[in-house]
Amino acid sequence: MTYRERIAAALDDGLRFAGLYATGSVVRVALVGPDGVLRLESVEVENGRVPTIVDLTPATAWDEREAADLYGVRFDGHEPLRPLVEHDLDLRNWTVPVHGDDAYQVAVGPIHAGVIESGHFRFHVVGDKILHLDARLFYKHRGLERAAEGRSLEEGRAYAQRACAACAVTNSVAYAHACEDALGLTPTAELARVRTVLLELERAWSHLNDIAAVCAGAGLAAGNTFFAALTERARRVNEQLTGHRFLFDSVQVGGNALVVDAARVAAAREEIASIAADSKSGWRELLFNSSLQDRLPDIGVLTADDALRLGAVGPAARASGVADDVRSTSPLLAYDGLVAVAPRRVAGDVQARLEQRAVELLQTFELLDTLLDRPIVAVDAVGGSEGSPLGLGRVESPRGATLCVVEHAAGRINRLHLRTGSYANWPVLAHAAVGDLLPDFPLINKSFELCYACADR
Amino acid sequence: MLTLLRNLRRLRTTVALPAPARGRSLALRHVDAGSCNGCEHELTLAASPYEDVQRFGFGIVASPRHADVLLVTGTVTTRMREPLLAAYHAMPEPRRVVALGDCALARGVLAANAEIVGPVEAVLPVDLRVPGCPPSPSTITQALLDLYDGDYAVKTVTW
Repeated sequence: MTYRERIAAALDDGLRFAGLYATGSVVRVALVGPDGVLRLESVEVENGRVPTIVDLTPATAWDEREAADLYGVRFDGHEPLRPLVEHDLDLRNWTVPVHGDDAYQVAVGPIHAGVIESGHFRFHVVGDKILHLDARLFYKHRGLERAAEGRSLEEGRAYAQRACAACAVTNSVAYAHACEDALGLTPTAELARVRTVLLELERAWSHLNDIAAVCAGAGLAAGNTFFAALTERARRVNEQLTGHRFLFDSVQVGGNALVVDAARVAAAREEIASIAADSKSGWRELLFNSSLQDRLPDIGVLTADDALRLGAVGPAARASGVADDVRSTSPLLAYDGLVAVAPRRVAGDVQARLEQRAVELLQTFELLDTLLDRPIVAVDAVGGSEGSPLGLGRVESPRGATLCVVEHAAGRINRLHLRTGSYANWPVLAHAAVGDLLPDFPLINKSFELCYACADR
Repeated sequence: MLTLLRNLRRLRTTVALPAPARGRSLALRHVDAGSCNGCEHELTLAASPYEDVQRFGFGIVASPRHADVLLVTGTVTTRMREPLLAAYHAMPEPRRVVALGDCALARGVLAANAEIVGPVEAVLPVDLRVPGCPPSPSTITQALLDLYDGDYAVKTVTW
């Protein structure tokens, strides 16, 4: 079968696109089955070209554009192949042409009005109505994947972690899983537990922050301040447990070096229970606040069909009715029997995405309460299986499925690739904003709350 | 809503941050020149009830036209050099530049050389350096107080 036939057959079999990247000579596609098992399909680059698969799965649009910009691969059939990482200043080259009476453009960014990361949005509008949105990111492209090449597997962790502070644990665990896959190591149950604690601590502060951000987007200062205070408390728990407010350097390849005694674990568990109680009370207040609630329904709507077609992940996909959560198929982590939760009204709009965070928070607080029942001790992963030159890891971040691929030779990195939940969802956000009013965009944007840093890398 | 406000009031009483001894005012504009988003998250929480940087009269403004201080986070990427300069040149004099966080100071930066220009001081004159990965909300507040009390107030009279 040809490359395209293999991808088409896999998609027909119910596998979903999980990422595409180029090396110098090969393009590889990661696919994921309903059981969470990853499959890799590869195709040789011939004369700088490979066939596109963007017509088979539109979710690959950004991946192919990135591979074209950074590795010079042309994707036959992907027309027009617009620049993504490269900043071609000629508008005609990177925006979708919009014609018609009174259609005009509104340029926003890269510097935004609040304390926000840098990125540029090009809105095509008539009056206040958004006809199309071209997002130009990669202002923060630091070349982290390239910079990691030639480093040891242990050194490489920093590059995955520092791609993004808000997803530092997720990126580190995905990287550790990929390395352990390549080294033939398997995490023990205790190692899985420690990493799951760290992942859920990250989700807790992140979701609290997202609820605060939506309140800010709707101008509800009291809700913003209340949830900002809870975010601060969650970060203090992080510091108390690991010595770092963003849990930096708490994840290692091949084991866990973090040690937390019984008293500190118990204190953290108690504080988490208190944060959980306060966040429930705050959430109830938001539900009964009509000036907030009136802003939320029926804007930024992402249908389930579009979520599947465009490859949406994480809370944004689940709020649209796609019950997909990597945590429910993660044998390497301590999520036994976790079932993806959904809001009462699975409408794929700002309200549903906000409530998705609230219901997931309850799950996260319960998980932390269960997992923080004993001290955290140093443990190693166990060996036994054969290593390979390529390892894969896939972990659910607060924003969705994050794929990490590590290719190495004798423990030196040849290629590191990180495809984060934010990367998957940026094109989805641009799609969800179409048809809405420009003044609602900040709120729609906040309801996705994507990182620029871990898309740009 | 009333419950929310009551709870916030209780929180402020419990945290009991001291009122500043004197009045101050600084308008801050933030520019992310290539951060990992950690400095942004900490800067955001400098406004939480646990730190309340506004009690000193320090606040984020939407435009560099309104700003006294440019807070720059991240190592400066090639793609952010021009926007950063544009923001700086849009500010009225007198103006100050704060390099916020280790990346902005070129400490332990992880990046491909071809994609970055360098630390903030490679692009702009830096008045205050705030280390940390990322600096905590209280570190940020203290740094701004140092800037204001130690340096800024004296040098504002330039005509």
